[in-house]
Amino acid sequence: MRSEKLKGNLDLLLLSVLSSGPGHGYSIITRLRERSAGAFDLPEGTVYPALHRLEQAGLLDSSWAEVAGRRRRIYRLNPAGERSLADEAREWTSFSSSVSMVLGR
Amino acid sequence: MSDMTSEPVEDYLDRLLLTLPGSPRQVRQTLSEVEAHLHDAVAEGVGSGMTQHDAEVAAVSRIGPAYAITGRTPQFSRPAAALIRRTALAGSLVGGVALVAYWISAMISWILAAIRGGSFVTAPFPAGSYTQADCARWMAGDPSARNCVAAMTSDHVGDIVLQGFAAGVLGALALAAFWIMRYRWRDRGTLTALPMGSAEAVGAILAGLVAFAGIAVGLNIESGQQGHGAGQPFAIALAAFGAALFFVIRLYVSARKRVIAT
Repeated sequence: MRSEKLKGNLDLLLLSVLSSGPGHGYSIITRLRERSAGAFDLPEGTVYPALHRLEQAGLLDSSWAEVAGRRRRIYRLNPAGERSLADEAREWTSFSSSVSMVLGR
Repeated sequence: MSDMTSEPVEDYLDRLLLTLPGSPRQVRQTLSEVEAHLHDAVAEGVGSGMTQHDAEVAAVSRIGPAYAITGRTPQFSRPAAALIRRTALAGSLVGGVALVAYWISAMISWILAAIRGGSFVTAPFPAGSYTQADCARWMAGDPSARNCVAAMTSDHVGDIVLQGFAAGVLGALALAAFWIMRYRWRDRGTLTALPMGSAEAVGAILAGLVAFAGIAVGLNIESGQQGHGAGQPFAIALAAFGAALFFVIRLYVSARKRVIAT
């Protein structure tokens, strides 16, 4: 998938990945790749500014923890993030079905 | 073929450190996150049978360019661009303070003219070097002047004040630009492109030289021209001393921060 399209929807995808449980940057990108069957393969570093932006927007919380001998920042969805995810997912579903209707599929 | 002597992960983290914006804490935390990410990716590569070096190359390739993490453009990350930014910061600080100091010197000149008369600040033109029309114009500008020479010096003092005001406005704009740029360019690459305190040191030296030159010129005029025109160099010297003091204090504060940091 074109990375521009992916970047435009990265926030929604990250919120969705984190709705299945907290994770650090590497695990989030791994889950994103697995859940998209490899379709969403963007430069891994781009998730960090997006995660920091979502945290600043108050949709994610983070804390530092020692995991497998390395200090990591663990991100988790908070209630505001859950509401935002629900809203954005609804908008995306509506938009996607409208585009499909126009395309006649 | 990759360079086996390089350390791709360490080199990448070095590049990232130089370009990450934000507070020291934000920089440390992002660097720590990315380092853990790269070591995870390397461990995965080694686990799948790659050599350590090839796994590092692959991990760096997958994470993408440093500017993807910093959110900056690739051009921003170049060392030459960092030097240009740092020079612009230094130039706007030194230039801004110099222009504001000139405005202050104009205000001092105006006060001196009010106390000791306009001819102390600006020497009148020698007789015969101006026309009746000039006189009429100066007298029109200051109808309360008792003669043409007094009106002329009053006009010249007005010019000094006006020039000083214009310099003050430009200086305020330059300092505003300095504060905005300093806020936007907080990456380590920009901040370390020139030695810490270099702008302050240059500013202090220049301001000190101007101050001494102003005193020398003022004393020379005082002794040779009965003080006519000595006020402006003395005013410039006083304002330049103030600017030099400002830069020395900034230099001292930055040196103290450095001592505390080490």
